[in-house]
Amino acid sequence: MRLVRAEVLKLVRRRGLMAWSLILTIGVLVVVWTVLVVLHAVNSAHHGPAGGPSNFRGAADTLALLGTLTAVLIGATAGSQDVVNGVFRDLVVTGRKRTTLFNVRIPGAFIVWAPMMVVGFAVAIVASIVFAGDLPNPSSSDVGHELAYIFAIGVVNLFLAVGLAAIVSARIVIGVLIVWNIAISHILIAFHSLGGARKFIDVAAAEHFQPHVSSDQQVAMSTGAAIVILAVWAAVFAYAGRFWTNRRDA
Amino acid sequence: MIETRALTKRFGSRAAVDSVDLTVPGGVAFGFLGPNGAGKTTMIRTLLGLTQPTSGDISLLGLPQPAKRSEALARVGAIVEEPRFHPHLTGRENLKIVAAARDRAAETRIPESLERVGLSQRANDRVKTYSLGMRQRLGIARCLIADPVLLILDEPMNGLDPAGILEMRHLIRAFVDEGRTVFLSSHLLDEVEKTCDQVAIVDQGRIVVQGGVEEIASSGDPTLLIEVDDDAAARRVLDGAAVETEGNALRVKLTPGRSAAEINRALVEAGIAVSRLEPARATLEEKFLEITSRLESNE
Repeated sequence: MRLVRAEVLKLVRRRGLMAWSLILTIGVLVVVWTVLVVLHAVNSAHHGPAGGPSNFRGAADTLALLGTLTAVLIGATAGSQDVVNGVFRDLVVTGRKRTTLFNVRIPGAFIVWAPMMVVGFAVAIVASIVFAGDLPNPSSSDVGHELAYIFAIGVVNLFLAVGLAAIVSARIVIGVLIVWNIAISHILIAFHSLGGARKFIDVAAAEHFQPHVSSDQQVAMSTGAAIVILAVWAAVFAYAGRFWTNRRDA
Repeated sequence: MIETRALTKRFGSRAAVDSVDLTVPGGVAFGFLGPNGAGKTTMIRTLLGLTQPTSGDISLLGLPQPAKRSEALARVGAIVEEPRFHPHLTGRENLKIVAAARDRAAETRIPESLERVGLSQRANDRVKTYSLGMRQRLGIARCLIADPVLLILDEPMNGLDPAGILEMRHLIRAFVDEGRTVFLSSHLLDEVEKTCDQVAIVDQGRIVVQGGVEEIASSGDPTLLIEVDDDAAARRVLDGAAVETEGNALRVKLTPGRSAAEINRALVEAGIAVSRLEPARATLEEKFLEITSRLESNE
């Protein structure tokens, strides 16, 4: 637990990282809702209420995308900062197992990332209810599915980023995972000729939890299969990072 | 404290550490002396398990490595190459990070460790604002939070100004006085001579000689430093002896048949005024250069 706290300390003291993470997970939603509220107040005939199910889904999707980006930033930093700053060898010479030094990076990164996501998600729920006007509130089913989707895609990317950053530099990891999440994975999912093989793509498995994706955009799979696929992705990259951390010269 | 047998570390066909038998006793400052590229840092990295040896045995604090690595390293403090830290964290936070990897008592030792190296006043400043000398001291503080029996310091004088070097020397001697063992690598012969009790001279991955500093420095034929009014005449009188010029003096190697008193008498009887005659104290530097040049000429 002391090592996990140390990981958290290393991350939260990075002012730039924390500022960007807060902007991406909470700041953007606050700005977007402010604009929606102002537009509705100024011209309610053209701009409907800022709350309601539709705006909630839009906000949740935005949070999923930006929260994933935040997970990548935090995970890549957690996975690489000891080596980049030349401190890894000083941790190794304490006699601690390298496996332990790697393993604590994941909960450390999660503890930093998750509260921001929870606050961002809370902002989305509260704003979509408070500013709903004559629109219905988002259903509990929508809220549950969006929460599952946001955390599924975010947590998997956290594992991917920590694992990969133990192998290659954080910059490469950030670039690769952004391109994978916003472009390559979706291109592959759109290839219907790939058939059932598309379900093994992590993004496709995470999107299983999204409540409002049309069936032709979503790869059919059971919830159990989606969970297993996401778990395998996380485990493989964590194992790769741990393996490399054990093998590398410190 | 440290014992290696036939320890070898190869990078491809090049042996950075070549069949090294090293014995470092407890309670001494032990200098690991060698020119740049001699294999000092590789030796330290191998001892600490930062890189795997190609072959050979290592024992730290009497515990075989890597089998008992965790037990041994729990009581070892080390600085490998230059001390590195998370620059965005304060000095105190950097120590907390490493304390978290050590035993529970390590965190309680942080204030006294900072005090010991004179960094208490700057402990809450970010490390990126520290000078190299302050980082060296923070590196020592990081070692001390383990309450180490053995400190392994890789070139601890690097980048320090004369005052910093003196301070580091005093610190190392104080550790030895407390009963700790300090193993330090350096290419600064003068510093090793002033700081260490025992030394091993390493060249091209091999240990050339090891033993007490005085013992190594004074090994070989004793020499005299002589100042006379006529160098040329003195050289003629000392014909056959090994005579070298050293500043204003002549350095004369003593041999069994030619004592200091006999040399003095011969010079005086030849009408040469002798203004200085003293045994030359051989330095570790001279011994080191003698050994390494002998090695070069043998190759």
